[in-house]
Amino acid sequence: MGLDKIDTILESPAHEFDVVVRIAREEDIAVARQMAKQLAQETGFSLADVTKIATAVSELARNIYRYANQGRIMIRKKLEEKDGPCIEVIAADRGPGIPDVDLVLTRGYTTYERSLGIGLSGVKRLMDSFAIYSEVGKGTVVITEKRRRKF
Amino acid sequence: MSSNLERVVPILQIADFLLVPIQIDLDDRTVGRLQQQLMREIERTRAKAVILDVRMVEVIDSYISYTLSETAAMARLMGCRTILCGIQPPVALTLAQMGVVLEELTVARDLEHALVLASSL
Ligand SMILES: Nc1ncnc2c1ncn2[C@@H]1O[C@H](COP(=O)(O)OP(=O)(O)OP(=O)(O)O)[C@@H](O)[C@H]1O
Ligand SMILES: [Mg+2]
Repeated sequence: MGLDKIDTILESPAHEFDVVVRIAREEDIAVARQMAKQLAQETGFSLADVTKIATAVSELARNIYRYANQGRIMIRKKLEEKDGPCIEVIAADRGPGIPDVDLVLTRGYTTYERSLGIGLSGVKRLMDSFAIYSEVGKGTVVITEKRRRKF
Repeated sequence: MSSNLERVVPILQIADFLLVPIQIDLDDRTVGRLQQQLMREIERTRAKAVILDVRMVEVIDSYISYTLSETAAMARLMGCRTILCGIQPPVALTLAQMGVVLEELTVARDLEHALVLASSL
């Protein structure tokens, strides 16, 4: 399972999203973060949730830059959902892939020397839904959503 | 040589302290330069505390958290304490939800509180 999903997502056309940011240089992380923030604001999220979404995007974009060198952050508003409007963030790369997905979701686990190892587990906590598909030699896809809260 | 002496942030000296308002995006390169600049200033001024003001920072992710703690650890090895102030409420909420612990840092409510804490060191 999941493997076809990686291909499908990696090949998803840009026009299906409101925002697509190619991550290849470190500066692109800030761009992705900024775009996510703007889209979440437009969609009417609270400032707290805008910050959570921007932080999640920052984590995912940095992982792409660090571990896969390049990839894409794709974001879209989903206004027709039955539970109310939501924002979907997809991070996709054709990098080395992750051998053990459960292991990397453990808080504090990292293969990078200067880090806390809480990026992915943090994204999972900040967002409402979280799924990760990865295959060694093929790439990694993270799909995550946040619903707009009623005030 | 000149690139080693680059100023990436303004560093203000107030009595025995250094005040550093962080207004730039902290990426890998700028963090390294900021740390070098700060270590140089600590050595030159013999400051006993550094106050990092993050009021302008809208997103603090795990990487920025790590680098802030790392900077504080470096300063501590030079006999200097680091106080963080100005964390915006939504940023605090996000960090708390992620379970980030800002090691090595003393957190102050605002700049005034940071100055009180620095003075009592
Ligand atoms: N896109 C990716 N491709 C390959 N490996 C990845 C990818 N994203 C994460 N990983 C692996 O998962 C580990 C955990 O990632 P996570 O983001 O949780 O922590 P980190 O990046 O190590 O540290 P932090 O995010 O706290 O700075 C990474 O150290 C890396 O080995
Ligand atoms: Mg990470």
